[in-house]
Amino acid sequence: MMDPATTPLGQMLLEEITPVVMVLSTPSVEDSSLKNGLSFLHLLTPFCSFNNIDVPVRTASDQPYRLHKFKLRLFYASDVRRPDLKVAKERLKQVITEAGEKVFSELASDVPHIDHEHASSEYRNTPSWFQFLNKELVRVASFSDHEAFDHPVACILAVSSNDEGPINRFVDLYNSNKLPSLLNGGAMDPNILKHYLLVHDNQDGPAERASKIFTEMRSTFGTSDCSLLCINSSVDAPIKHQVNPWASHMSDASLSQGLGCFLNTDDINEIKNLMQNLSSKYIIPNMEQKIRELNQQVSATRKGFRNQIKNLWWRKGKEDGADSPNGPMYNYSSIESQIRVLGDYAFMLRDYELALSNYRLISTDYKIDKAWKRYAGVQEMMGLTYFMLDQSRKEAEYCMENAFSTYVKLGSLGQQNATRCGLWWIEMLKARDQYKEAATVYFRICGEDILHSAVMLEQASYCYMLCKPSMLRKYGFHLVLSGEQYKKCNQIKHAIRTYRNALSVLKGSTWSYINDHVHFHIGQWYASLGMYDVAVKHMMEILACSHQSKATQELFLSDFLQTVKKTGRTFEVTKLQLPVINISSIKVIFEDYRTFGSPSAANIREALWNSLEEEMLPSFSTAKSNWLELQSKLIPKKNSQSNVCIAGEAVKVNIEFKNPLQIPIPISGVALICRHSGSTDEARSDENQSNMEKNNEIDHFREMSSDNTSFSVSEVDFSLGGGETTMVQLSVTPSVEGTLSILGVRWKLSGTIIGFHNFESSHPKKNIVKGRRKSNYSPNNMFKFMVIKSIPKLQGSVRHLPGKAYAGDLRQLVLELRNPSDFPVKNLKMKISHPRFLTIGNPEHIKSEFPACLTKKIDSVNNDAQANPGIMSDTVFMFPEDTSIQGENPFLWPLWFRAAFPGDISLCMSIYYEIGDISSVIRYRTLRLHYNVQILPSLDVSFQISPSRMRMQEFLVRLDVVNKTSSESFQVYQLSSVGKHWEISLLQPPDTIFPLQSLMAGQAISCFFTLKNSRLLTSEANEPAMHVRSDLSLVPQSSDNLVFNINNAPLINFHHFESIAKSYTDQGDLNTVDFVLISRSLKSDNNSGLSDPPCVMSHHACHLSTASTGPISWLVDGPRTLQHDFSASFCEINLKMHLYNSSHATAIVRIDTLDSAGSGGVVQSPTSDIQAGWHDVTPTTPTSEPKVTSNAFETQLKKALSLDSVSPYIWSGSSSTNLHLEPMSSVETPLQICVFSPGTYDLSSYVLNWKLSSKGHGGGDETKQQSGKCQGYKYYITVLQSS
Amino acid sequence: MIVCVAVVGHQNNPLYIQSFTEADDALKLHHIVHCSLDVVDERVNNPKKSGPLLNETFLGLLYPIENFKVYGYLTNTKVKFILVTTDLDVKDADVRNFFRRFHAAYVDAVSNPFHVPGKKITSRTFAERVSTIVKSFGLTSAV
Amino acid sequence: MVREVAESCVDSLLTEMVASYCNRFYANKPELAARRIEAIGYQVGHQLSERYTMERPRFSDHLEAIKFICKDFWTELFKKQIDNLKTNHRGTFVLQDNKFPWLERISIDPSTDKVNSAEDDSFTTAENKAASTISMHLYYPCGIIRGALSNLGITCAVTADISNLPACSFVVRVKA
Repeated sequence: MMDPATTPLGQMLLEEITPVVMVLSTPSVEDSSLKNGLSFLHLLTPFCSFNNIDVPVRTASDQPYRLHKFKLRLFYASDVRRPDLKVAKERLKQVITEAGEKVFSELASDVPHIDHEHASSEYRNTPSWFQFLNKELVRVASFSDHEAFDHPVACILAVSSNDEGPINRFVDLYNSNKLPSLLNGGAMDPNILKHYLLVHDNQDGPAERASKIFTEMRSTFGTSDCSLLCINSSVDAPIKHQVNPWASHMSDASLSQGLGCFLNTDDINEIKNLMQNLSSKYIIPNMEQKIRELNQQVSATRKGFRNQIKNLWWRKGKEDGADSPNGPMYNYSSIESQIRVLGDYAFMLRDYELALSNYRLISTDYKIDKAWKRYAGVQEMMGLTYFMLDQSRKEAEYCMENAFSTYVKLGSLGQQNATRCGLWWIEMLKARDQYKEAATVYFRICGEDILHSAVMLEQASYCYMLCKPSMLRKYGFHLVLSGEQYKKCNQIKHAIRTYRNALSVLKGSTWSYINDHVHFHIGQWYASLGMYDVAVKHMMEILACSHQSKATQELFLSDFLQTVKKTGRTFEVTKLQLPVINISSIKVIFEDYRTFGSPSAANIREALWNSLEEEMLPSFSTAKSNWLELQSKLIPKKNSQSNVCIAGEAVKVNIEFKNPLQIPIPISGVALICRHSGSTDEARSDENQSNMEKNNEIDHFREMSSDNTSFSVSEVDFSLGGGETTMVQLSVTPSVEGTLSILGVRWKLSGTIIGFHNFESSHPKKNIVKGRRKSNYSPNNMFKFMVIKSIPKLQGSVRHLPGKAYAGDLRQLVLELRNPSDFPVKNLKMKISHPRFLTIGNPEHIKSEFPACLTKKIDSVNNDAQANPGIMSDTVFMFPEDTSIQGENPFLWPLWFRAAFPGDISLCMSIYYEIGDISSVIRYRTLRLHYNVQILPSLDVSFQISPSRMRMQEFLVRLDVVNKTSSESFQVYQLSSVGKHWEISLLQPPDTIFPLQSLMAGQAISCFFTLKNSRLLTSEANEPAMHVRSDLSLVPQSSDNLVFNINNAPLINFHHFESIAKSYTDQGDLNTVDFVLISRSLKSDNNSGLSDPPCVMSHHACHLSTASTGPISWLVDGPRTLQHDFSASFCEINLKMHLYNSSHATAIVRIDTLDSAGSGGVVQSPTSDIQAGWHDVTPTTPTSEPKVTSNAFETQLKKALSLDSVSPYIWSGSSSTNLHLEPMSSVETPLQICVFSPGTYDLSSYVLNWKLSSKGHGGGDETKQQSGKCQGYKYYITVLQSS
Repeated sequence: MIVCVAVVGHQNNPLYIQSFTEADDALKLHHIVHCSLDVVDERVNNPKKSGPLLNETFLGLLYPIENFKVYGYLTNTKVKFILVTTDLDVKDADVRNFFRRFHAAYVDAVSNPFHVPGKKITSRTFAERVSTIVKSFGLTSAV
Repeated sequence: MVREVAESCVDSLLTEMVASYCNRFYANKPELAARRIEAIGYQVGHQLSERYTMERPRFSDHLEAIKFICKDFWTELFKKQIDNLKTNHRGTFVLQDNKFPWLERISIDPSTDKVNSAEDDSFTTAENKAASTISMHLYYPCGIIRGALSNLGITCAVTADISNLPACSFVVRVKA
């Protein structure tokens, strides 16, 4: 441990606990000294502290020791008294306030960050004004009568040489009524060492008179006690002292220059010598002597066992002494006071051993006497003595603790002393690096005085920081506490300072409550000081406090807004986190060569569009190359990666704003911040880049946002409810070409504060670097555009496309294209994503009204459109070459819409067009249209075809129609078979099918037709069968008989796409039939949600196969019933079998008859004849209509089961016959059976094995099976016994 | 009565702070808990008071402040539990018992696979459990 | 509140997890799958260590923590302790389990090839595939150990070594 004398406390003690010399001077002395701007006291003060006055000292002990540093404290007699509390307080307050101002002014604008090395290094010396303040506090407690080290040990009587009657003056200077109460009150010995000083002012003339008086003095007061001091020797020019000894002692340095201007060096030397003599020759010896005699006295009365006992007994004796708070009065002559004096003198002469022994001695006495104040004082001194002796810390601290608590117990009486004691104690602890304990002591000495406690708390906080390991959190906490105290006694600046220091602790921690509180108050206080900018800065920290309660949020926000309002101007801040911007949500929508007809179109995946457009655009590589090299002429390579946008066309950005608070916040003036640089050359764009990196400067932003000559931005206002999130679309429209870069977004919070958000900064740098590679959507390119001069842009829409439609609904739409610019566009192409829903019509359809145009004209039997369905393949549709759109009048083109199947359909169509003038960078553009259509189920149509057993190539068609709608009712109008060679005819008259002409909601009907393959009949004669009636009106002819021509566009086209949609791509198959069912909606009054009910609906059924399992169909022909006399003989029955080969290849057929030995028993006579007459042998045929197959399968199974219930009969004739069938030809072969008893027989027990000779034409036939086997079908024959 | 309980993560970040006073002194309690971390560090780091309770999870009375008493508990995973109470005579056993149950509740809370380690504990069931534990504090029946 | 799960369930769960990560999610990037599996283990270990250290005093040094892993933690997981713990006293620990339960039921036959299709190149031999498969299964326990240790304040890297099955040794390297 270091030498205690060098510690701060040691210094303080050596300063403060030193002999006091009382100064009494006549006014004239003062006058002469005042010529130097100094009072007499001050004149002497600098020369009272000696660093190496080398004096041998011999106190009680015999061996002397040498004293080096020594100091005298000079006081005017008038000042030798308890300082006035009021004044003291005032002075303290003033000191603090000044300090506040001073420190605050030099307060750094940014919060200092604290870590441990800081704590150790720069905060080692706490703010300097603390020391000063503590000194003051110590001074307040001085000149108490219960301790002797403030009692004057000597007094200087100064009389000027030009006072008249100096001797008498000396006498009455020291007359008792002027003396301070300490001496008069008997607290100390009034006859103290006096020194008579004659002051001569050389400006008043020569020194003869002085010397005369001096000799006179010597004769009266004795030679030793007198001395003569001549000052103001420099009569003429005032001198400047380069090292001014007085300056440091003056309170304020301002008037420190003129000091001592009339004192030349030998004057100063004289003063030096005087004081040195005084202290070394008179004061110290005097003290020594006093110590010695006091010591003898004490040891005589108190040392030794007897004295102890006696003393003890005696004190017990005067037990009944009045128990006044500061115990009995002791006057100077009392032994106790003398011991105390002895101790203090010893202390002042650094004979600490002696001092300690005496303090010990006396403290017990005081304790017994309950003289608490004195007791405390002694304890205090003991503590200090222990410290100075640097031994037994425990003792020292115990004493200090003891003294402190005793003082505190005394209440107001001991207040100041308590504080002083505390401070000394603290210093002691600090000297020993026990900062934590020191802090607690600080905590204890902050009394009820708020300001005082504030200062103490702050000092405590510093102690917490200084202790190892530094307790930063406590540091912060105490700073906050003291800050509150400062605030209470409105030392705002101190409060702010402490809070800001507290911030340094909280910085980066997640203790949001504390953080918010501190920031908020700093903000408030700055605001109260009128420093609104800083206030706003702090308040902004806590705006997005989602963790706080609603009330708090409101408070914060309202206060913040008020502060901002007070500033009078609108604030602009870079990262205002209210509202929060969701960076990941940012989406940039721009149109280069691709343009969007509607926002919904922009949201469709790019890949989908590409797939739609790929065969329309000039092939990608070439396109890229040609407009890249075109660009490379116009712009540097670097920009060629950046996006292209066209002057006059808006670039849109979708941004998502989120409100973290629970309270609504109004946002206004949300707009993009853009930079537009006219030229696109390398250097310029580079420097753009460079200061885009660091464009956090607000003014930069403002400048950006201000100039909107070269572009215009849209502004949006909205209000965010609590916790709400909204997506906002902002747009910027460049007006001239160049480079446009979107820097960020700006918005205005509740009209007063403008927030900026910088897109670039929000992206990490590495992304940008990576971004170079992938041309698009890399952060820096995403917001950077090359603006090229404006080119035509088609606007397109589809007129009256329904949002909802019933399945099968057929409508005529009009595609409308406009080109507002003054350049024409040519070479239009168009591609539609769902040709089943949309097809392109002919221009003349526009004129003809709907649905009349669909009906069959009498004259135009075969139309042009139906001639070649080839163009209707789903490739690109080319508009006629001569079409070029320009100007006001829209370009119209008919489209046909048919709701193919129920569901939600998103129709995409892309229109490609080329720009008239070649000069522009972009040669072609595409217009992308997108619509959503909801298709509701309407009619559910299913067909079921089964071959007739009456005639070859005749079929029964069963039509099932179910109305799936909820409210609509339709009129099933017409059924047509597609293709020339199918003829359909009704089995029943239509009115029996539809008693009330319409199909109600949810109603189902089924009706039967016969379908005849007319080709078979006309196969020989190849002229087209015009007479074939393939359209069938299902309404009674009474109503208007217009027949829809299904061979006409658009029906034929839709039908084509329908048949393509069925994955059955064989055109040439002659065994399949297609049906088109036309139905019309009746004007139903209870119209459902649809805006306009469908007028005409068409349902298409394709590739219904008429063929059986294979190409072979056959028919057993013979009698159904016959009579026979079985008594005569068994009965032979001859039958014929007709076989037809419907394939293109020759077929070999083998008929195997098998005699089943089934159990006998007559089958009941067959059920309804239709049922008996018809059934199909087709196992699952690969046809498109699921219903048919399923039915077929069931029936087939039924048959298979009932096979065994046949009664015996015998096939006669060959059991196996082979036949050779030419393609498309029929043969017939005889069959014979024998029956032996009457009954009904089922002749189904035979099998047809057929095989196609694969030669013929091989092409399409691989799909069909090459061979097969058919069960015979039931053929009932009834034989009756003839009577 | 228990005024406040807190869970503080191993980076001294608050994971859960709940005060049980009707008075609006959340801030003060935050401060108290915050400061108590200093004491925890002190206790753990400098082995001045070594011996058996050096590594014990229960840290005992951290420090008294104003009319509160602050108790601490440090788990193996450097998670601190802080208990602030106004009771004058608190039985050590009670506090230990409290912390044991509190720790159990905490473990169950963080064992929730949807809980992100190091983030604030928002589980409602945890809050309920804690409040029941707090209510039953000091009752000798508490187990 | 003690809840118990049948070991077989855990076994099959582990197998299923490894399989689905290796074959379904990250079919052709095994290292990614490994990382995911390890991460799952990490979280589990992180939470389990919280639970299993409840009633015990804090560990003063790394060795204590590792011992805890070897004894109590392992017992909680597998009803057995680590059989052998070695350390060079410079932050590397080798925990050897002579009969690691999660490897007991893994049989080395070609059928394991299907378990990770990521590996089956034509030239890797069957036991290579088997080894890689098994190592896939070991990322999970490695993660558990790492998670537990890191929650105890020890950042480390854990690898597994299967030189002689079913013995399996986990190597813990503490980041200094």
